[in-house]
Amino acid sequence: MIAQSRGGDAGAYDQLVGAYQDRIYALTHRITGNREDAWDAAQDAFLKAFRSLSSFKGTAAFSTWLHRIALNAALDIVRRRPQQPPASLDDVITVAAAGDPGGDVERRDVQRRIQGAIAALPVDQRAAVVLKDIQGFRYEEIAAVLQVPVGTVRSRLSRARETLRAMLADLAPMGEGRSQ
Amino acid sequence: MRSNHVKEQLSAYVDGELTAAEQSAVSGHLQVCEECRDHLASLRRTVTLVQTLEPVRAPDGFQAQVRAGVERLAARPSQAGRWPALRWSWRTAGAAAAVLLIGVFTINVMRGERALGPVSPSLTEGVGREKPGADSGLRREASQRTGPVDILTLRRVIRTAELYLEVDQFDAATRRLLIIAESAGGFIANSSYGETGGVPQGSFTLRVPTSRFATVVDAVEQVGTVLRRGISGQDVTEEFVDLQARVRNLERHEQRLLSFMDRAGKVSELLAIELELARVRGEIEQLTGRVRFLSHQVDLATIEVGVRQAKKTSGALWDFGGTLDRMRAAFVATIQQLLAVVEKAAVFASAMAPVLLVGAAAWLLISRIRRAPA
Repeated sequence: MIAQSRGGDAGAYDQLVGAYQDRIYALTHRITGNREDAWDAAQDAFLKAFRSLSSFKGTAAFSTWLHRIALNAALDIVRRRPQQPPASLDDVITVAAAGDPGGDVERRDVQRRIQGAIAALPVDQRAAVVLKDIQGFRYEEIAAVLQVPVGTVRSRLSRARETLRAMLADLAPMGEGRSQ
Repeated sequence: MRSNHVKEQLSAYVDGELTAAEQSAVSGHLQVCEECRDHLASLRRTVTLVQTLEPVRAPDGFQAQVRAGVERLAARPSQAGRWPALRWSWRTAGAAAAVLLIGVFTINVMRGERALGPVSPSLTEGVGREKPGADSGLRREASQRTGPVDILTLRRVIRTAELYLEVDQFDAATRRLLIIAESAGGFIANSSYGETGGVPQGSFTLRVPTSRFATVVDAVEQVGTVLRRGISGQDVTEEFVDLQARVRNLERHEQRLLSFMDRAGKVSELLAIELELARVRGEIEQLTGRVRFLSHQVDLATIEVGVRQAKKTSGALWDFGGTLDRMRAAFVATIQQLLAVVEKAAVFASAMAPVLLVGAAAWLLISRIRRAPA
């Protein structure tokens, strides 16, 4: 499918988009923190990827390559608008609506707190946490996406989690109890 | 100290990303250090918390919009291939705007230079010479004729134009001429009117301030079809200066004669001086009259307008010849306009060429730098 898309086959690429859109959108959403920017970044990433498919060497995994493009697109938007409040009201509703409709107010609040804490992280650490705990990549893959050594990934994640632990200290035990 | 060291590794320990040696070292430490055990538990809870974030899915319509974008891109294969795609960020738009501005500026500069050249000699010369300073200076000269004359700044030019027009409505044209003359601060000095063979025609003499000469000629030409046009300018600066010098000389001569008269003893002497005085005074009057006439001519330009009403094709149902004429005129006009557009495009292209060259070089450079991360 990748090879076909490379030849400029829009139909084959459409299938690729279908396969990856949820993961890519999730990434851009967690990095940018709101719906509009997430959409813009994800769309930008898919178009950019299509344009530069010919320069995709196949040495790296396609998923890693695509994540790198999407992450850069999302970071571009974040850097362009740094004064955005971490989690808007609109976002609370989005996250809640995306989950199951039976979620109660408390749970929504927990979700909002977590997203807010992630959004408060410096972008380097935020990218590492999102790639690890939300996208489920291994350290090596994260290093490939971020183009930094594995050791850097490790220290960024460690620092990010310490910050999150401090910010979500009151939620942590409760959150674990609720998720049962 | 040791405790801190292990805390830094706990994050990777949770993920199972430590080497075997590190793994066993951390495990060993955890057995003995309760603080690190607590820290690990709390870290685990945090990680679980983050992982419980509800999954986000791409919104409906997202894939469709990407597909539309991809199809647009695919329709332009040259862009997806060798050439780096043009990205319409604000930066690109700004660069495009800048290039456009520079281009327009260049063309304007070229235009300005050309307008100063000999486009329509008589008209532009007329406009160029009638500087506001010259105008007021003339009036000052006329009132105090003995003042010093600066030839360089005070050109005295008598402007005259002769226009012969064909109009649709003779009466309307007459009214318009009157309005043109008066709104320019002038008047119709002379007019005559007649009818030959049922076609009314007449001639008018418009006198308008010299500063308005060009605009008035232009306005008069709008009244009808110009059949003949002649514009002339007569430079009388030299004559002016000459006249003034002669008047000054004669006035001095007159003064001398008057002083002779006081000393004259004989009647015959007195008579001779009296005679000479009369001659000198006469000459002075004549010359100052000429000066006054000239300054009047210079202050007010003369425009002679001949007006003839166009022959009506009365009687015949359809003026076939007229239609043919109009068709031919329209045909020629269209071709002229097309040629003008082609010419303008060529001029524009040559004006833009250097700018485009620089722009292309800069763009290639930038795109090469940009392409590096891919």
